Amino acid sequence: MTPRRRPTDRLVRSYVVTDGRAHPTRNTLDLVTLLIATDDLPLTGLNPEKRRLMELCRPGALSVAEVAGHLSLPVGVAKVLIADLMDSGHIVTRAPIPAARPTDARILQEVLDGLRARL
Amino acid sequence: MTEQIPEAVVWCLAVGLFAVTVLLVRERGISARQRRRNAELGDGLRARDAELRHLVSARLPALETATHQQVPAVGLLDIRLTDTEFAKCLDAVVERFAGAVEHARLRADQSAKAALKASMRSIQALANEQQVSIAEMQDRHDNPGVLSDLLEIDHANAQFGRRAQAIAVLCGSWPGRQRATSALVEVVRGATSRIRDYRRIRINGEVDIAVRSRAVEPVVLAVAELLDNAARHSQPGTTVEVTVQPVHNGACVVIDDAGVGMDGQAAAHAAELLAGTHAVDITRLGDPPRFGFAVIGALTERYGFSVSVDTLSPYGGVRAVMFLPTALLTHLDAASHAPVPSAEPRVPTSAAAPAHPRAQTHSPGTAPTADPAAPAPDPRPDAAPAPDPAPEPEPVEATTPGGLPKRRRRSPRQPAPHPVPADDVGGRSAEENARRMGAFARGTRSGRAARHTLHDDEGNSHE
Repeated sequence: MTPRRRPTDRLVRSYVVTDGRAHPTRNTLDLVTLLIATDDLPLTGLNPEKRRLMELCRPGALSVAEVAGHLSLPVGVAKVLIADLMDSGHIVTRAPIPAARPTDARILQEVLDGLRARL
Repeated sequence: MTEQIPEAVVWCLAVGLFAVTVLLVRERGISARQRRRNAELGDGLRARDAELRHLVSARLPALETATHQQVPAVGLLDIRLTDTEFAKCLDAVVERFAGAVEHARLRADQSAKAALKASMRSIQALANEQQVSIAEMQDRHDNPGVLSDLLEIDHANAQFGRRAQAIAVLCGSWPGRQRATSALVEVVRGATSRIRDYRRIRINGEVDIAVRSRAVEPVVLAVAELLDNAARHSQPGTTVEVTVQPVHNGACVVIDDAGVGMDGQAAAHAAELLAGTHAVDITRLGDPPRFGFAVIGALTERYGFSVSVDTLSPYGGVRAVMFLPTALLTHLDAASHAPVPSAEPRVPTSAAAPAHPRAQTHSPGTAPTADPAAPAPDPRPDAAPAPDPAPEPEPVEATTPGGLPKRRRRSPRQPAPHPVPADDVGGRSAEENARRMGAFARGTRSGRAARHTLHDDEGNSHE
């Protein structure tokens, strides 16, 4: 097992990040819920953690657990922030239909070549 | 001859009388002088008695109550005694007494400070330890109810730590923890974390200024004291507005409250404390003691920033302005590289994937910094058995500090990889690939055979 991450001495405490709240406004979030940022809403009025969360989610989907890890916040705190962002429409949690990933032709070709050489 | 005798007697008598008269007159003069002198001496003695009484009843008590900066205002009672030996002796007594008082006061102050400092240090250590435990618990527990309680405990602990830290600083200790260079706004939010009414603080202004690491903790502590004052002396329903702005020689943190304000005397006293020029006598901070301004004064003097509270806030309360000189500041983008060296991911570098700005770092400022032209390090040696999937558009995996691989997120719109002719896969011909596959197969076969024989050997030796 990897050594447990020692919680860093955070300058900004969790209660300031959530404004004292510990209960997310919705109960639908799971550790593996995927978050997708919507592009059209401005980030003004968001606190720095929410802004960083949006920046993390902008390039693609991230799970709740990953977001919490990247922000180095407890998962419960991250859920409060995510629920706020869902309420304001900045984040949606419905995963997009994943694009079918074409099988990599080159690997198949290499395997085929190898097998041909064996037989 | 006989008639001459009475004449002689008369003469004798006359002379005698004259002599007696002269003597009498002289005696009288002498006794008058003596009396005068007696009276003078009596006066002098009385004056000295009075002077001594004055010394005991007025001059020495005045010394006791005066603080060490003030000159003793009470002088001699009788000006006739000035420049006499007696007055000099009295002055010497006063001096010795003043010296003794000063010495005793210094010693008392020092021992009080040393005792407070030592006890506060242990309390501070306990508060820090507890904070680490609380942070661990916050990471561990997912239940919102538990988290809510933990947040409250965390809040109380942060205030508790701040008080201990403030008293320790006042007693000459250093603010403690070394922190990484942090953005000024984060520093102000960190200060907000340590006061009771953190919900009433509104922070405005966006600056890309950061506070150098050595000044982070003192600035946090000073801003926290100012914010605590502002929130404590204003109505619970009002907000405390904090504005962070760059100025020519540094940056300013302006704190406006809508509270009761300060009268002239209080403002003057505050200014004196904030200047930090006098050593603070911790026994004279009132009951209950007010540490705030004295702590800020100690910090400003040590670190070279300044705080003034003499302006009126537009909301009617106090406007506190903290000025941070350039020496304590740095720029945010330059600073944001330093604290998270391990969080830098390796950016995908294959030709198929365009240079895509990924913000998958701990710090948003560091995202596009990796050089897209740098070749991806190939983790496998050339004799690796499996077909080398190097040109796969999936980026090379970054690892966490703990050694686990980091999952890279897939971009929703990744361009499809171009089909590559089989001949130049990995720059190798089909024959080369075939040779490697063959070597792999041979290797596994011989490995299995070796394992088999080893098993047999072990089995035999046991029998």
